[in-house]
Amino acid sequence: MTVNRNPFPNGAEIGRNGFDLFSAYSCMALIREYEERVMELRTAGEVVGPVHPYIGQEAIAVGVCAALRAGDSIVSHYRGHGHALARGVSMDALTAELLGRKSGLCGGRAAALVSDPAVNLLLSSGIIGAGIPIAAGAAMTSQVRGSGDVAVVFLGDGGLGSGVVHETLLMATAQRLPLILVCEHNSYQGGTRSEEVYPDLDLTRIPLGHRMRTVSVDGNDVTAVHEAAAEAVAAARSGAGPTFVEARTYLTRFHLQFDKPSTERRPAAELAHWLDRDPLQLAHRRLLAAGTADEDLAAVARAAAERVAAAVAFARSAPWPAPSDVSTNVWAEKP
Amino acid sequence: MNELAVLDVVLEDELRRDDSLVFLATSTPPEWRREFGEARIRTCAISEQAMVGAAVGAAMTGLRPVVDLNRASFSFLVMDQLVNHAARLHYLTDGGYRAPMVVTSATRGRQQLGPQNEQCPYGVFMQIPGIRVAVPGTAEDACALLRSAVRESGPVMLFIAPELARGANLRAALTAPPVPFGEAMLRHRGDAATVVAIGGAVRPAVEGVAALAAQGIDCDLIDPRTLVPLDVEALASSLRRTGRLVLVDDGPRSGAPAQILSALYDVPGLPEALGGRVAFVCAPDSPVPSTPALEQYTWPEPQAVAAAVRRLAEPRP
Repeated sequence: MTVNRNPFPNGAEIGRNGFDLFSAYSCMALIREYEERVMELRTAGEVVGPVHPYIGQEAIAVGVCAALRAGDSIVSHYRGHGHALARGVSMDALTAELLGRKSGLCGGRAAALVSDPAVNLLLSSGIIGAGIPIAAGAAMTSQVRGSGDVAVVFLGDGGLGSGVVHETLLMATAQRLPLILVCEHNSYQGGTRSEEVYPDLDLTRIPLGHRMRTVSVDGNDVTAVHEAAAEAVAAARSGAGPTFVEARTYLTRFHLQFDKPSTERRPAAELAHWLDRDPLQLAHRRLLAAGTADEDLAAVARAAAERVAAAVAFARSAPWPAPSDVSTNVWAEKP
Repeated sequence: MNELAVLDVVLEDELRRDDSLVFLATSTPPEWRREFGEARIRTCAISEQAMVGAAVGAAMTGLRPVVDLNRASFSFLVMDQLVNHAARLHYLTDGGYRAPMVVTSATRGRQQLGPQNEQCPYGVFMQIPGIRVAVPGTAEDACALLRSAVRESGPVMLFIAPELARGANLRAALTAPPVPFGEAMLRHRGDAATVVAIGGAVRPAVEGVAALAAQGIDCDLIDPRTLVPLDVEALASSLRRTGRLVLVDDGPRSGAPAQILSALYDVPGLPEALGGRVAFVCAPDSPVPSTPALEQYTWPEPQAVAAAVRRLAEPRP
């Protein structure tokens, strides 16, 4: 296995050269650094809108996106910085977007709800469950065009409460859509714990009930996530239809913050259990055991901090939209 | 789109012309599945949200989906997909993505479908920036606007009044070329008043205006054909001449008629030109009952259109 010692050859994107643990670790470290910095910038009043930190779940975005190719589409939701970065959006443009600037990915209109046609990030919907049929539509396009591309949609355990998700599970199975649903089962939906509102926590029974191929994986183990995703992607490309991947993980911080960090608290023993299984720590331990030098791993952290600092500097100097931008692009011009 | 069968012939023609067109419905013609394949002609479970949501994703990735919702009442099932997604995406992404898709549905006819399934919700969609709204008043325009809709650059709601099928000129409908959105049609000319009639209400308005003409009172009768974009200039220039406005619709006054009036009141000088001479001939602000004994009171009748024009034409005390 070739190990790329330059942690961010093209920004954060992962998978263009296949999967290796060092690159995956580097990408996770970058997302972690990014999320910490974005929360600081929100507290400082620089980031607009709410911030939904992805901390603790980085292995899922990175493991899944490493299994994709350029033509594939992804759909995210409001906890989506990790997905966007793992898919390879420009960190500069993402950060400018979070700061509400004209040169942001969406001209400052979307804040965290970003899209990026350059990497087929269709949408990061602010509506729970709503992105799932949209990804199914991208999978339909693949079928019509015969491209072999797949569509991946990320959802949380909370998404399974949404009716349209059930409709889409049924439709995707019936129409053998090349669709992969990645359910980041992190125990929380907003501030509510899933066991408070679901009959049980065996979420896999839901897609199985819709006759969908379903796998469950340790969502904090980036290699395991990657392997499960790669298998689902291969099945979808070969015409074998959709897969539901349950990735068990934990939202170690909180649902969201506005101007102050959230006061949400996790049960101490549960939090300790999951922090011990932190996806970065797991990968770090494994890399050390495989003989990766300590200083190489330390260099990743330094490079991540530098990359994020550069993105923040870019965003701070980016222009604001002009007043006339308020009503541009309501209507698409004819091509 | 069984309420106006000629639309199916037009859509079949368009499916043959443009291989990016796909059709999603809960029932599809077997001959279409054979000719165009099941990837393009998708028979779906009764899952309107998944169908319209998938249409959004397909449209964003290069297809042109047409979803037949059957009844317009079902549009309320898919408001998230239409309003929060299809209508918002081009703006949200600052032009990065577009969602060219068409959603068709039948409004209301004399079908006794009752309070749920006899509705004209197009006024609701006039409040949603990003969605184009077409409500043709003839079968010919329905076909022409369907052809335009599948060439549009964003989402289109095409509302069809089942009554358009009655006495339609099928040959003219089939050969009607696309008409640009936002161009109203003047169906009668005169200075007594401006009658603006929408969709299925165009026919009774035509009859009412013809009855007046037989008595020497001629009105402008304007069919906007699309409510978004609305041909405000055509309406405004007529109203500057007539100074009297009668709004005629199968739906309630609070829907499209109120929206049109508010657009006109934003035209400088027009409120003064109207001077309060505005009348509505619409469905009452109540649901539509099933029994014909009551339903008969919910239609804009030709006599009511004529009476409204006469009332506005009377000299003011």
